[in-house]
Amino acid sequence: MASPLETRLAAYIAGRMPGVAEVAVDSLTRISGGASRETYRFRLSWRDAEGRALERKLILRRDPPASLIDTERRIEFEAYRAFFGSVVPVPEMLWLEEADAALDHPFFIAEEIAGFQASPGLLWAEPYAANLEALAQRKWTILGEIAKADPAAVGLDQVMEPVASDACWNRELSYWEGVLDEDEAEPLPIIRAAIRWLRANPPPPPRKVGVVHGDYRTGNFLYDEQGVIHGILDWEMAHLGDPLEDLGWSLNPVWSFGRGLAGGLVPREKAIAIWEAASGMAADPAALHWWELFNCVKGQAIWVSSARAWIDGGNREPIMAYPPWALQNAQDRAALKVMGRL
Amino acid sequence: MKPDVPAVLAETAALMVRNAAPDVPPAERAGALGLSAALLGFAAQAWDGAAHNLVQENRAIRTLLGEAGSDEDLHLSVLSAENDRLRATLIALHTEVEGKDPAREAAIWAELVASTERRLVAGSPV
Repeated sequence: MASPLETRLAAYIAGRMPGVAEVAVDSLTRISGGASRETYRFRLSWRDAEGRALERKLILRRDPPASLIDTERRIEFEAYRAFFGSVVPVPEMLWLEEADAALDHPFFIAEEIAGFQASPGLLWAEPYAANLEALAQRKWTILGEIAKADPAAVGLDQVMEPVASDACWNRELSYWEGVLDEDEAEPLPIIRAAIRWLRANPPPPPRKVGVVHGDYRTGNFLYDEQGVIHGILDWEMAHLGDPLEDLGWSLNPVWSFGRGLAGGLVPREKAIAIWEAASGMAADPAALHWWELFNCVKGQAIWVSSARAWIDGGNREPIMAYPPWALQNAQDRAALKVMGRL
Repeated sequence: MKPDVPAVLAETAALMVRNAAPDVPPAERAGALGLSAALLGFAAQAWDGAAHNLVQENRAIRTLLGEAGSDEDLHLSVLSAENDRLRATLIALHTEVEGKDPAREAAIWAELVASTERRLVAGSPV
């Protein structure tokens, strides 16, 4: 028997597929993780106008009652759409629903890129461990391609808030400092010292304002045993800004998974060289240092806001308590490392 | 650790009761129990040293601030509230001495590094 969510989902999709019949949803399963969106996979089946039976594996991403990060799903949806069919591999976006009526919260539906892994935990053992260098090559090459993209050419200047090149750093720092001010459950002396340093030592403006993925790290892409990346995921923090912001996030020590390597994959300098070759940009060391420390502040703000959502009762899922318990101290230590104090 | 350990343990217990029902989809049950196990592991690590670490940290910060006093009530909630007060005051002191008093600044940084060692979680990525 279909679950209530399957029935409602099928009714919604049927309304968006005129001319077809017998639209049905089955095998709806929630995918674990997903602190910022509830993620489900399901199978859609239907009969086309000629009566042929068709089916497709799809993904539902629905807003939870309270999220780890507060973002607009339209921007995430449009970011995926902007890169679909390009050298940046992303799933096809199908429908975006911003009203609550259909499934209680806003959501979008996309194709499922099935058959690949996303979990970082599998990478350090065979068969994946043999191809970590190849995976790193793809990972930072794709990030370089994102940095190289012209926001106007891919249509994202129409949906993302514009920013002047000399205002990128302050907009991002002020936003995440504001999240800390609002959400922190305890004083954070290391991160507050980092913020003071960042404000006193702003980076030079980027040569160009580009598309920033916002959460580009090992764990947010789909990979195979040969080190090929089949989909870049989790664009919910995408925005316009300094391309070095993404590179800095990818180098955040919390994403080393205790291996002392960028993204747990290759030495830091190697990752930077791949990115530079792909983007055609030089990563100014002082500017990159600023963005690496900034990303420690941003990371801490995300863990703190996760704790806040749990404490206030908006979302008591264990995934909301896990990030602050697992990563708050690690993020402090990452900030100390970037500042050369650990 | 925030959210506070007792509150998370209580919520985890309730989650386990819900997942003991026979009609929970296996994938959802697996996800919930996997994360619950991880949270229990963090709580187990924190249990023995929590009061000791807070007392040590409060003592070290009082020394930096030149404050008298000690922790008489050893409830974690009380120690933690005092820790919050002391760390907020430490931020103000740090801001004040930055670039002006290298010796005090170095002492504050040394304590901040030490605090991350006290709070270190097994399996930490950093």
